[in-house]
Amino acid sequence: MTDNAPRTFAAPAVFGLALVLGTATAVVLDLFLLWWAALLIGVGAAFVLVAATAARTRDESRTGATGAKEEGTPLHKVLVAPMSLVLALAGGLATAWILDLQLITEVAAGLGALVGSALAFVLFHRLSAMLALSFAAVLTAGVIALTVTGAVLQISGIAPVETFGRMLEFGSRPDSMVQIVNTATTYYLAAVAVAIGFKMGLFNIGVDGQYRLAALAAASVGGYIMLPPVISQIIIIATAVAVGGVWAGIAGYLKVARGVSEVISTIMLNSIATGITAYLLSTDRLAVELSTNNIGTPPMPESSWVPGIPAGFLGSDREIWGMIVLAAVVGFLYWAMLNRTRFGFELRATGQSKTAAEASGVDVKKMVFLSMLFSGMVAGLVGLPQLLGHSHHYALDFPVGIGFIGIAIALLGRNHPVGIVFAALLWSFLDQAAGILPFDGTPQEIAVIAQATIVLTVVVVYEVVHRWGRRYQQQQIGKQLGRTVESPGEAK
Amino acid sequence: MSSTPPGGGADAPPAVELHGITKRFPGVVANHDIDITVAPGTVHAIVGENGAGKSTLMKTLYGMHRPDEGEILVRGTPVHFGSPSDAIKQGIGMVHQHFMLADNLTVLENVVLGAERRHGIGHKARARILELSDQYGLGIKPDRLMEELGVGDRQRVEILKVLYRGAQTIILDEPTAVLVPQEVDELFDNLRELKREGLTVIFISHKLDEVLSVADEITVIRRGTTVATVDPAATSARELATLMVGGELPVPELRESTVTDHVVLSLDGVTVLSPEGRPVVDDVSVDVHRGEIVGIAGVEGNGQSELIEAVMGMQTLSAGRIHLEDADITEWSTLHIREAGVGYIPEDRHRHGMLLESPLWENRILGHQTRPPSVRGPWIDRAGARTDSERIVEEYDVRTPGIDVVADALSGGNQQKFIIGREMSGQPRFLVAAHPTRGVDVGAQSAIWEQLREARAAGLAVLLISADLDELIGMSDTLHVILRGRLVAEADPTGVTPEQLGSAMTGAGLGSADDTEGGPRADRTRDDEGEGGA
Repeated sequence: MTDNAPRTFAAPAVFGLALVLGTATAVVLDLFLLWWAALLIGVGAAFVLVAATAARTRDESRTGATGAKEEGTPLHKVLVAPMSLVLALAGGLATAWILDLQLITEVAAGLGALVGSALAFVLFHRLSAMLALSFAAVLTAGVIALTVTGAVLQISGIAPVETFGRMLEFGSRPDSMVQIVNTATTYYLAAVAVAIGFKMGLFNIGVDGQYRLAALAAASVGGYIMLPPVISQIIIIATAVAVGGVWAGIAGYLKVARGVSEVISTIMLNSIATGITAYLLSTDRLAVELSTNNIGTPPMPESSWVPGIPAGFLGSDREIWGMIVLAAVVGFLYWAMLNRTRFGFELRATGQSKTAAEASGVDVKKMVFLSMLFSGMVAGLVGLPQLLGHSHHYALDFPVGIGFIGIAIALLGRNHPVGIVFAALLWSFLDQAAGILPFDGTPQEIAVIAQATIVLTVVVVYEVVHRWGRRYQQQQIGKQLGRTVESPGEAK
Repeated sequence: MSSTPPGGGADAPPAVELHGITKRFPGVVANHDIDITVAPGTVHAIVGENGAGKSTLMKTLYGMHRPDEGEILVRGTPVHFGSPSDAIKQGIGMVHQHFMLADNLTVLENVVLGAERRHGIGHKARARILELSDQYGLGIKPDRLMEELGVGDRQRVEILKVLYRGAQTIILDEPTAVLVPQEVDELFDNLRELKREGLTVIFISHKLDEVLSVADEITVIRRGTTVATVDPAATSARELATLMVGGELPVPELRESTVTDHVVLSLDGVTVLSPEGRPVVDDVSVDVHRGEIVGIAGVEGNGQSELIEAVMGMQTLSAGRIHLEDADITEWSTLHIREAGVGYIPEDRHRHGMLLESPLWENRILGHQTRPPSVRGPWIDRAGARTDSERIVEEYDVRTPGIDVVADALSGGNQQKFIIGREMSGQPRFLVAAHPTRGVDVGAQSAIWEQLREARAAGLAVLLISADLDELIGMSDTLHVILRGRLVAEADPTGVTPEQLGSAMTGAGLGSADDTEGGPRADRTRDDEGEGGA
């Protein structure tokens, strides 16, 4: 970030200027306009400043993730710049909105503008074309999905805009938000479990069976064995991980040793898991009567619970499950494993090209087994936020089907540890926000239609955009190197 | 070489004409300036080594992709094919190398599948199939179940499928690759029958003797372009081989010998069986010394790939031992062999050498994922891998905007240079180089040769597999000829000519002085099949 050419601005100087301009504009305008309008104008002003000085901003590390100098290329102009503006505005608004729950509006708007302006600078200079393409794809897909859902509503004779408005309003109530975060925690774990398989080219459909079996085992351990706090939680988590791992490991072993498709074996293992849980969850065996029409494992002592995080800062008196920390840790480990470890490299290499991995000395069979095992271990955690944070026992009413939702969310989040966070939150928001619809006489299934449409459009649009982007990149590099015809013949 | 076709029907317009066809792909050798005229009622062969651009050309002709430049004329009229169905409408049909048939359906069902509109699916269709079968002597029974049929019958069904759709010109892509000798003879009889009935056949192959026996005209493709069209009556397999691999190009010779007595890699009676139990590598024994390049010449598909994979630990040996200096590496895993200092330039870099969707610096790690500078313990050393990628880009003149571009975006030559740089890092003792300059432009080719020479001078032992005879002769210290999995001849690279080598590759021996067990053979050999061995 050094200024090593005359008559140019140092990057930090421009950055500082943009921050000051954006924040000041927002704070001043806040006196006259609505807070969000002021914020938008402020961030917009900062963005204009950044864009205007871009050509004269020296920053030697300013290259895209593709290594090519991207600024000034048509793609940067038509795609990256607008995308960074949109993202900066969205980032600023989101920050201000969350801070608004705690702080007075003026301060929140100012801080939001600050964050937005910072984003404007960073994104404009650092956002790579491919990443911008991904964002644009998701945005496009979102718009398409919204349109389709709107059209369905319209055809059914329900006013779409009002319905969406109601969902947004209900979904952003404090209690709803806590619920959304809690559900998303569970979804996130399920999606990471699926994503580990996907990265390797494996389709673990069995997350559902794995987590149910793991949760039952963990609940039984917690309910029957009295252990001191902390140790108790560790044992419960370890049980869940082990059971999930073993259950998925069976599919992995069958694939490696017998060539059984993991799709088939995990589906079958799901059914078997259903059978086993039904068998064990009987008053003759693991279950006790909890109420007149519900049986389950004995409730765990309070020392085995994981305390929640008070959600006062969201304005709710409910608690966010403490297991969200575990989900964050799993997400981080997933990211680190994938991008920083040899194992992750081999996993990705095998997923990309089995033949190349084999020729490079990767033991593909071992990788298949291990990734299935790891996928199952994470799947084992899926039931725990609910178990340790809320119900404290495994009963007949324990949520089912989260494994399948995890598949959709992993697809939606493109198997990316951060992408899955947003996908899980979106999914969970739609689940929660749909809760208001019956009160208005609107069918709740709208949310399901929206979820399904989003997954489909994101997958399709992303793939299309991604392919186009790669071709475009190849052409750009071809041009850059001044090479058109590949083999000019050998007569030279 | 004569380039004027002898012309089938003097007044009829050519069945198919290709003029100045150019097709570019990022990263691979495509076609350029292709000119072919196919006379109606003839069998026109198109020969060239794998990777020369035959398939690309045929896909262009069959409408599977559009050419960037040039025009296609069918019976004298310019046409534009957007898809294979456009080509079929113009009477051009294609029989793919890999059959596209449904095993659980009958012959009739397979033939009408997708062409139900022509004659329905009932009696009319059956009648038409029988009529075509009789007319062209294909001998097809429409009610047999496909899974009961042998390979030769399946191929005839494929041909019938094409005829049923009204094709006047039939493209056969490597049709003999899957056939045994008797079936090849039957196929050729069928082709002559088709020709007699006025159809045109375009026959793609790299088996010269077959081409010579069945074709009326032969067009040779090398490095993406047509180099000559010859009359089979006036040429020989040797001349064709020379045309295919470019015998006239001078290759800088190795200077002084750097061969030492120290054996680095020793193969002893190495035998590899195919899944069907046929030996694909048959009792191969060869020593590679420090500072020596041992070349293996042979027509593609004579066991070279399996030999390499055996050395790399990717194929299980059914007999024989492999030693790397003092260690017996026969049972070692690929990773272990690589860690022991064996570099590997794979023959198909896209399948075996690169992660096309990953950035260059991640490709630096591939195959070296257990060794510094790419990794530190279980962790990827990003900084180390990146620095070393920069070094490779610099030292091996890889033309790229940076090490963060995905490998796919580079041209084939630059991908190859990067692979070579990667495989040369970490001071390997032994290098397996399979077609190191295939699909690589001229500049990169000489750079790669120079790098191999330098490494050899520094004491590297190299096993070189190539289809380019000049490369083999120019680069090797010792030269072996492989035929049906066996080393059948050893040639002296200082004295041998591409013509002599070419004839040894087809089993005719090295010629006068250096005759081996192969001896002069009948004019037809089945190189790819290796039936029965020599």
